[in-house]
Amino acid sequence: MRLYRIGAVAERVLRQIWHDKRVLAFMLFVPVLAMILFGYSFSGDIRDIRVAFVDEDATDLTATILKTLQADDTFEITVLEGRVDSERLLVESGYQAVIRIPDKFTSLYYAHFAMGVATSAQGEIDVALDESDPQIVSAVMLGLSDALMDLGEGGPVSVEIQALYGVEVRFIDSFAPAIMGLVVAFISTILTVLSIVREKVDGTFSRVWISPVRRAEFILGYVLAFGLIALVQSVLVLSIGKLVFDIVINGSLFWAFSCVILFGIGSVGLGTLLSALAQTESQAVMFFPLVLLPSVLLSGMMWPIQAIPAVLRPLSYLVPLTYSNRLLRAVMVKGLAPWEEPVGFAGVLIFVVVTIAAASLVLRQSAQEAG
Amino acid sequence: MTAPVFEARDVVKLFGSFRAVDGVSIRIVPGEVYGIAGPSGAGKTTLMRMLCGLTPSSGGEARLLDQRMPGGRRQVESRLGYMPQERAVYRDLSVAENLLFFGRIYGMTRQRIGDRTQELLSLMHLERSRGQRADRLSGGEKQRLSLACALVHEPGALLLDEPTIGLDPALREEFWQYFHTLNGQGRTILLSTHYLHEAAKCSRVGLMRRGRLVAEGTPHELTVQAANVSGESDPDMERVFLILTAQPEGGAQ
Repeated sequence: MRLYRIGAVAERVLRQIWHDKRVLAFMLFVPVLAMILFGYSFSGDIRDIRVAFVDEDATDLTATILKTLQADDTFEITVLEGRVDSERLLVESGYQAVIRIPDKFTSLYYAHFAMGVATSAQGEIDVALDESDPQIVSAVMLGLSDALMDLGEGGPVSVEIQALYGVEVRFIDSFAPAIMGLVVAFISTILTVLSIVREKVDGTFSRVWISPVRRAEFILGYVLAFGLIALVQSVLVLSIGKLVFDIVINGSLFWAFSCVILFGIGSVGLGTLLSALAQTESQAVMFFPLVLLPSVLLSGMMWPIQAIPAVLRPLSYLVPLTYSNRLLRAVMVKGLAPWEEPVGFAGVLIFVVVTIAAASLVLRQSAQEAG
Repeated sequence: MTAPVFEARDVVKLFGSFRAVDGVSIRIVPGEVYGIAGPSGAGKTTLMRMLCGLTPSSGGEARLLDQRMPGGRRQVESRLGYMPQERAVYRDLSVAENLLFFGRIYGMTRQRIGDRTQELLSLMHLERSRGQRADRLSGGEKQRLSLACALVHEPGALLLDEPTIGLDPALREEFWQYFHTLNGQGRTILLSTHYLHEAAKCSRVGLMRRGRLVAEGTPHELTVQAANVSGESDPDMERVFLILTAQPEGGAQ
């Protein structure tokens, strides 16, 4: 073994990297991105959960509860008056919890002190929750419990929980749809990038280009292939979820698979777009973390979007998986039809239309470069 | 007058201010084996890509089978077989799968592709590699597969960009036998090469240098022309190129 030969090889590799400015830029960019995203994401508490607060008792005691909740950054409290339909507030108005303090809460609360152990009287609070995100549920219950502790009286309060979908949802139940979306997005995007870049490098791209194959056919060919792959991947994720983790699937499997395939199509479009930025396969590989990191950290997959610091939260809404998560959770956990989760559905549809249209333009450019 | 299969009329291609192809005119009629010969960087590939409509020209007119390129490409695409300079086969597909794909995109039935595959593998001596993945083939086998992919849909016109590049002399000879067989079947062939002595095997040759066509004719005509200029008797094609490209610009016939 000769040290000078090892040195020569190392020098050659470093020179190659130095000459490929895209690889160099990625090498520097990815650790910075990873550190920022992981650092912010793991240090974040859940914030700005939208809560409707209905105080039918309107006493000093209930005002104290409201004040404590309002002082808690976890919540974004909206005080509503009169009778409310909790389910509508949750489904249609985008609230994640409705806290209702009924009439006579205060009198029942103090009755306990007046009558001592001889009574079972206690204040009662109704909480209606969208239980599809267990971390949001925990945060609401913890915040409410803190607010009740702050009353300082130690009086008994019973919290009646009304779950919107009538099921107990565990973390794994809401995690499975996200995993499904992530796997499909990651595999479809990366394989499309690699495959198209390889076509360009090998010259098959120009050969296909002067054949009767049209741009739309080329893209649809990829879409069809990855649509099928997405279906197989989703079946695998769901099967393991059901058989091993006994996940809750409330909704229609047809809609779940349809939504996953739709998202897979958008991911093929994204992969085609990214392929325009890479000239070699090693450059294409650099897109792996660029696709994976924001998807895992910013999409609400690991923790609610409310747990992401406000400064990064706008980025969450640029990550396609954010919408896929909303849509798939709505379909699979809540049992809704896709259009009943309009934000997620529209987000995924826009993702598909924009990326596929842009992919078509990119392919025209790539074909000219190949020429 | 026979309509040309490939035709360039004063074609120019600019990359920024660089003139990759500079006012080239050529006309290849049915039945010819026309060779564009010249060193690397002479503009051969760019000219060929304009002729098949892969890249638009910056000036002049490139025509394929009487259609102006690139606009009219769709009308004639199924009559052209193209072999790019890269081997341009799918490495992770087998030999037969590559031919199946290229046959299918030209609308051939599986039955017809199967028959055609048999013929081509026999012609290219690839029968034993039928199920082999392309990335496990030798360089020569890959090149033969690449040529077979260009032929699978039975085109009448062939555009072969450096088809013998990287092959050893024996294999290059074998490839020239294929070209003459294909030409004998009625196919018109336009190919490029930087192996100047290979140009002597063409029915006509265009010599390119720095984007310009510096001489054109049958190998015999070019040899005579070079002999007249230099006084050498019977110069080989490399000498022909050196003698004719040493002439002042605009020497093309």
